[in-house]
Amino acid sequence: MPPTLYSITEDELDLDDLLAQITLPSTGAACFFTGMVRGETQKEGLPPRTEYLEYEAYRPMAEAKMRQIAEEIRERWPTVEGIAIVQRLGRLYPMTPTVLVACTAPHRDTGVFEAARYGIDRLKEIVPIWKKEVGPDGETWVEGEYHPKPGE
Amino acid sequence: MKITLLFFATLRSLTGEKSIEVELPPGSRVADLKSWIADRYPNVAPALVETVLISINREYAGDDDPIPDGAEIALFPPVSGG
Repeated sequence: MPPTLYSITEDELDLDDLLAQITLPSTGAACFFTGMVRGETQKEGLPPRTEYLEYEAYRPMAEAKMRQIAEEIRERWPTVEGIAIVQRLGRLYPMTPTVLVACTAPHRDTGVFEAARYGIDRLKEIVPIWKKEVGPDGETWVEGEYHPKPGE
Repeated sequence: MKITLLFFATLRSLTGEKSIEVELPPGSRVADLKSWIADRYPNVAPALVETVLISINREYAGDDDPIPDGAEIALFPPVSGG
């Protein structure tokens, strides 16, 4: 069974270690997405400066949904071998990794990039984790856009 | 029947609760629980109760879904992880 890692952690993300865990002798391509805490924002409607983010999760359901995402990836991109989906919780400062979604495969041209992209987009739809923005003007919970359907 | 109700993020700050036990009549559906929440926590505006997500035993649920006895139910805003 190819390695499937999914977890929620309070610890600093060790990206090298996570890469090593999903690399096999057959691996030729590893695609990593890492989300970072953005300290300065240009996008209209968002606070321009972030002091830190605070992450909270409904852990058992979050882990179950991460496992589901890995299954969805395997179904759509059967050539993907290793999958890692890891979210860090707690207080995180700018320029810090918050989340990792990584996929490995023998070759780069059979969907490994798309699979990693799908993984992060899907995490942002269905995994019960929330972040609170804390800045000079106060703090607010960031609300997502997506409403999962019953049973999704 | 007895259920455990968990609150997260804005729902936690508005209700002041993380986790409560609730007695519901048998045959209750999610919509009934939402009415109960709006009554019990008036500062959780009915509009918010409309747009929140609900899970029953760690699966997303809708207003018409029946609530099983002993269920773990969570109420939370659309997710913002990553």
